[in-house]
Amino acid sequence: MLEIKDLSARVAGKDILKGVNLKVGAGEVHAIMGPNGSGKSTLAQVLAGREDYEVTGGSVTFEGLDLLALPAEERARAGLFLGFQYPVEIPGVNNVYLLKAALNAKRKAAGEPEVDAYDFLALIRQKMKLMHMSESFLTRGVNEGFSGGEKKRNEVLQMLVLEPKLAILDETDSGLDIDALKVVSAGVNSLRDPKRAVVLVTHYQRLLDYIVPDQVHVLSGGRILKSGDKSLAEELERRGYDWVLEPQVA
Amino acid sequence: MSSVLQSSALPQSAALRSFAAQWRSRSADPLSPLRERAMQRFLELGLPSSRDETWRYTNLRSLAAQSFVDAPRETGGAIEADAALSLLDERDGAASLLMVNGHPTMPPNDFINGIEINSIREISRIDPKLLRRYLEPLSDADNARWALLNTALFVDGLYLKVTARVTAPVVILHVATGDGTNSIAYPRVIIEAAPGSSATIIEHHVAHGEHTPLNNSTTHIALGRDAQLEHYRVFATDAGATHLDSLDIRQDRGSQCKQFTVVLGGGLVRATLDAHLDEPGASLDSNSLLVGHEDRHVDCVNIVTHGAPETRSTQTARAIASDASRVIFNSKVIVNAGAVHAQSQQSCRGLLLSPTAEIDTRPQLEIHADEVKCQHGATTGRLDPDMLFYMLSRGLDRDTAQSLLVYAFLADVLTGMSVASARAAIENALIAQLPDSPTLRKFR
Repeated sequence: MLEIKDLSARVAGKDILKGVNLKVGAGEVHAIMGPNGSGKSTLAQVLAGREDYEVTGGSVTFEGLDLLALPAEERARAGLFLGFQYPVEIPGVNNVYLLKAALNAKRKAAGEPEVDAYDFLALIRQKMKLMHMSESFLTRGVNEGFSGGEKKRNEVLQMLVLEPKLAILDETDSGLDIDALKVVSAGVNSLRDPKRAVVLVTHYQRLLDYIVPDQVHVLSGGRILKSGDKSLAEELERRGYDWVLEPQVA
Repeated sequence: MSSVLQSSALPQSAALRSFAAQWRSRSADPLSPLRERAMQRFLELGLPSSRDETWRYTNLRSLAAQSFVDAPRETGGAIEADAALSLLDERDGAASLLMVNGHPTMPPNDFINGIEINSIREISRIDPKLLRRYLEPLSDADNARWALLNTALFVDGLYLKVTARVTAPVVILHVATGDGTNSIAYPRVIIEAAPGSSATIIEHHVAHGEHTPLNNSTTHIALGRDAQLEHYRVFATDAGATHLDSLDIRQDRGSQCKQFTVVLGGGLVRATLDAHLDEPGASLDSNSLLVGHEDRHVDCVNIVTHGAPETRSTQTARAIASDASRVIFNSKVIVNAGAVHAQSQQSCRGLLLSPTAEIDTRPQLEIHADEVKCQHGATTGRLDPDMLFYMLSRGLDRDTAQSLLVYAFLADVLTGMSVASARAAIENALIAQLPDSPTLRKFR
């Protein structure tokens, strides 16, 4: 589904990604872990198509498409979704409006008719219930005045409505209490199926207790240094990152 | 009426000479002594230059070489109250008053929707003292000079007295229309809200026909104790028109004023607001929506003076400039000594939609009292790239995302308008002036 080959990228004149290789197959869940500043969020943003992040080398293929050649909006319509680490507040643009416009953009690209207003509201209410979100969400501006936890739940809600083929969730677990973590995890798990894939970017192993990954990767210094199964995350939790990084230093 | 010219040297510019000639042609009325002083002061001040504090960004030099005559009292053809001219629909039960180049076209002594309506000419005959209250004192601040010229030369105008709690809005449709001569109009409006009364009054400035006179309009608003007023001034004249508007607000104890200044058109629009909160508990919310496109020039000057304890004011301005337009928003809050616990908030945001457009904002504070709470903020920039990326990453196309952000930028002022149909009409007209207007329309 997703194949990243030797990807390097620069942000504000600084090389952040220095040859990332990663292959994600349909139905899989991958976790990318790593210390602060290792390039995890940069990788997520580059995949989503952020323009001010300059790709300096490598390639990314998504469902047979040359992902890097597409603008952000076309990547989204092709089925890629980024759950932001810091979702932006957009006062004056209604949550429901944005979601509806997003869903219709995707449907249009797929040659489907626009969603019926009544059906859409029913759909969004059903997903809101799943995400334990209050009714007031419907009338508020995008993320406007949301708490950190509400913003993260909103990201997952958007994901559930858009049903992407590949969801990249950038620290969707950070700032969540245990109850919210369970809600968010249930949301993500509800989307798991053999045709979809999820990439979780996270600091903490605790998320992986709820969303069990097929593979765990350690990203540091702009490269993936180690990959393994879920037990790698447990080992990282126990021993920290140093033992992974050491060979690199030496 | 010629003492002005006897007592001072002949004015230098053609424009000033033509204003002096207009003055000489006026017949005497009970206000003549006051008008003469206004004329004299105006001639002494002359046309503004970039040395004047509030005229730094607006150059009126092109006016100097022109001579002006009085704009006609009637329109060349019938004015049809078509949809383009109307801010309201029938459901609002609004009454509409028509002014042509400052001349009211209604019978005197009318009474509509609980508001007493008279012509200023009639009031000056029966109660000149009342008028003097509004026309004096003559300020010679550099931002007040056009009001001085208006005081000297206005022929008639509208006097509205709100005496009850009125729900249906009243629209004053100001039509500017020329006959091909280089003319000037002096519309004058006085709105007085009696203690405890409330009303919504919309002044809508439009142009009719091919020629639009130079417009020098002045409005006074006086709110009695605990009175409430929602006032709009909407400028929608054509691209070639120059409009110099002065609005003066005085508020008594506990009164509340919500003011909207909307600039949708005009080649050069200069709109000043001078508000005085001179009694405890007076409260003013001033909102400005300033949209520049093509090569238009919009200059807005707000001065709010807190003269008593426990007064509060907000100034919210949203400026958008596209193409090669220029939008200026100068706002100043003055808190006089003794105005303890005054609260003010100035928020000005500018949005640049083209590299050749310019927005200048200058929030100022002058505080002479302790224990006050005054905040101000001004930002100008392009569309927020984080917001844009967020929407693109959800699959919205770029035009839609940009238009949504532009719309959102205006929304917090628009949502404060309580006359739904006026808001809708203003939204429509605003949107028509923005890039991607067909996309923007879909959000409504």
